[in-house]
Amino acid sequence: MKNHALNKWLIQRVSAIVLIPLLLFFLHSLVDLVNTDYTGALDFFDNYLSIIIFTLFLIFGALHLKLGLGEIIEDYIQDGGLKVILNKIIMLTSAILPIVGIVSLIIIIL
Amino acid sequence: MEKNSGPLSPHIQIYKWQFSSLLSITHRMTGVINVAGFFLIVLWILFLALGPEYYNFYQKFLRSFVGKFILVGFTWSFVYHMFNGIRHLAWDFGYGYEIKTANLSGIIVLFLSILTTFFIWII
Repeated sequence: MKNHALNKWLIQRVSAIVLIPLLLFFLHSLVDLVNTDYTGALDFFDNYLSIIIFTLFLIFGALHLKLGLGEIIEDYIQDGGLKVILNKIIMLTSAILPIVGIVSLIIIIL
Repeated sequence: MEKNSGPLSPHIQIYKWQFSSLLSITHRMTGVINVAGFFLIVLWILFLALGPEYYNFYQKFLRSFVGKFILVGFTWSFVYHMFNGIRHLAWDFGYGYEIKTANLSGIIVLFLSILTTFFIWII
């Protein structure tokens, strides 16, 4: 039998571990990115490492925030109807954000 | 749908504040703040894809005093959530439960998060 709660628990931890090096890579480049101009920012995505890391960051970040926000809703929201609505908003947001990010990334590379 | 009037967890209204609970609620708050940070990152890459006019507009905001303040704040929020997350992972594996150890690791997390933010932006 599948245990849904255990799966969520596990995915939250696994995504957390995966996000550690991805976040560090991003934060490492952050100051340079802020100080550089448009062409400089484009140059950042001129190699496969940046593209792959950024794509993974978008996917695992969205997964992790979906589970984290869902947990907070579970703990603090009593009203069943409101809970359903908020969970739908979270689901939609966590899908739209990485899709917008990845589509933008594809446009930048092409 | 039937209204559930049972108690909510964690009972923040009646909780006696301690260093450990403060770090715990900060973990959740930084988690929520990081969602906004994630949103800004997606917006950044979207503006980069839209072209220089959009990107320069966004860039100008990020380079302003308010923008820098927000960026440094987000950096600390992400770094704190990461270090405290590692602390949580250690607990998941059964390490560091003793009160003294938990308090010490909390202080280390706080110290490391500030130090890392400082290193990223100042050096």
